[in-house]
Amino acid sequence: MNRVAAIKVTGGTLTCLFLLLLPILLPEIQVHLATEILIFALFAVSFNLLLGYSGLLPFGHAACFGVGAYATALILKSVTGMPFLMTILISAVSGFAAALIIGFFCVRLSGGYFALISLAFQMFLYAVALKWRDVTGGDDGMSVTRPEFYLPGVGTLPLTNIHYLYYITLVIVALATVACYLFLKTPLGNAAICIRENATRASFLGYDVFLTRLIMFSFSGLLAGISGALFVVFQEFVATNVLDVHMSFTVLLMATIGGTGHFLGPVLGAAFFMVFQDWISSVTKHWLLFMGIVFVIVVLYAEGGLIELFKWERMRVLFVRNKEL
Amino acid sequence: MDIYAIQAVHGLVYGMLLFLVASGLTLVFGMMGVLNLAHAAFYMLGAYFAYTITIHLGNFWLGLILAPLIVGAIGIGIEHFSLRKVHKSGHVAELLLTFGLFYVIGELVRIFWGSNPLRIPVPGLLLGEIPFMGKTYPIYRIFIIGFSFVILIGMALLLLKTRIGIIIRAAVSDADMVEALGANVPRVFMAVFGGGAALAAVAGVIAAPFLSTYPGMGLDVLLDCFVVIVVGGFGSLLGAFITSLLLGELQSFGVLWIPRLALVFQFVLMAVVLIVRPTGLFGEKQ
Repeated sequence: MNRVAAIKVTGGTLTCLFLLLLPILLPEIQVHLATEILIFALFAVSFNLLLGYSGLLPFGHAACFGVGAYATALILKSVTGMPFLMTILISAVSGFAAALIIGFFCVRLSGGYFALISLAFQMFLYAVALKWRDVTGGDDGMSVTRPEFYLPGVGTLPLTNIHYLYYITLVIVALATVACYLFLKTPLGNAAICIRENATRASFLGYDVFLTRLIMFSFSGLLAGISGALFVVFQEFVATNVLDVHMSFTVLLMATIGGTGHFLGPVLGAAFFMVFQDWISSVTKHWLLFMGIVFVIVVLYAEGGLIELFKWERMRVLFVRNKEL
Repeated sequence: MDIYAIQAVHGLVYGMLLFLVASGLTLVFGMMGVLNLAHAAFYMLGAYFAYTITIHLGNFWLGLILAPLIVGAIGIGIEHFSLRKVHKSGHVAELLLTFGLFYVIGELVRIFWGSNPLRIPVPGLLLGEIPFMGKTYPIYRIFIIGFSFVILIGMALLLLKTRIGIIIRAAVSDADMVEALGANVPRVFMAVFGGGAALAAVAGVIAAPFLSTYPGMGLDVLLDCFVVIVVGGFGSLLGAFITSLLLGELQSFGVLWIPRLALVFQFVLMAVVLIVRPTGLFGEKQ
């Protein structure tokens, strides 16, 4: 095994170990933060399927997140005895369905047009959630109770215990992220990148631009739906904020700060965003200003985002002896 | 009948304000393909600068002159020192940059002026109401319509009758060709960007005594502006004008007739137009 692979494997193993042992290593308050980071990491990864891999910038990505969130909230509120994973699955499917419909109208366009029409759909859903008080609770929102998770051979685990919730979230997010990674390695994922680089050329090569983008958009919606569902379970509450502009903008900040050019960039971005927010909001209430400044600096001077700092070309200096350089 | 006339004038007031903001946005998009999110921040800055000037110097008219000049200068600075740098990275990078600037400016406003709504008093000259259709109507709102109309005429003359206007209009339809013909398109673009920022600030100043000044005002007007430039057609001033008035009336009567759906209206309109006619009502081909 060469040195690069060895370092990658070691780093990966250490990260996995850390994530598995995190509830033991850190106090409970940090476990809450870690759970939230995981949820937003998945949301940011789903966002990057569009911005990073398809070259489409959606301003309304909270649409699918919100649909998944409301689906879970409604199930938890009105259906008793639904298995937890089934709830998540239904939310994922609703996110997928919402993305399929929205995508059908959006993906024909690109650039500013695409950004705005996706925003239009999100605002439409937001208005529906705000006004349809009988079902969604309007801007008062709805509080839900965390369900129990039945693990065969072990018994029922109440998710009100943050440690159980952390592990469930970790497993679901990890599986979804790996699925997303594998999905991008398929010929379809490659076609999406090809279309990002040059849509006209790709269509002359025989790729169906519309269909490829639609599938990417729907799959991204599916992942966003899952993260929305987990978010509601975590918060024990749902309100219109899961569907509003700030949610769309937050995920945009996370993905771009982390770096859209690498699969793990948005994950890093989400972690950075949440930790930075947690820290700086204890110092100043104007934390958004600093987040905005970080974002502008990244866009202006470090297009690759924070993940660039971890690229092998930079780490090389630390690990390789001089004569090999 | 009276109530309809009053509502129609309400709609006209908001429509004209919206057009002042949207015109700069649509010209900038037409010339360079930049969807400038920071534009709404210029609107907000205009209102806040005017507030400070009015409070400290005690003169609204001074604010109306100075605030747009300051904001125009800020706009030129932003174009020259940041937007120009990411131009080569493509439209997505430009979108991201202006988005970040929108956030930063919004937060700076919160730091300097606080989060509470501020109110600029209506200047003494324009206080009071005039009789209108058997009722009374505030003079200040009539002033908004009149003043916006004067600016509209001025802008039309500038664009239709002067050399720089011709260059701007030509650059909207094909910037590369205009540059090849010897016009300094980047410099013209910088001027348009600054001018657009100043116009947005003018709208902010005259809106402030009427809608009050609050940190969320940027986002509110931004969403409406998006609808205007999408429905009107990117880069089309005529389209922006007609859609602004249409949207003003739509909101005015929407609140009156179906208040439950007032929020949804404009976004449904935008979605339908983008689906049926992606170039907007008056836009040229993409």
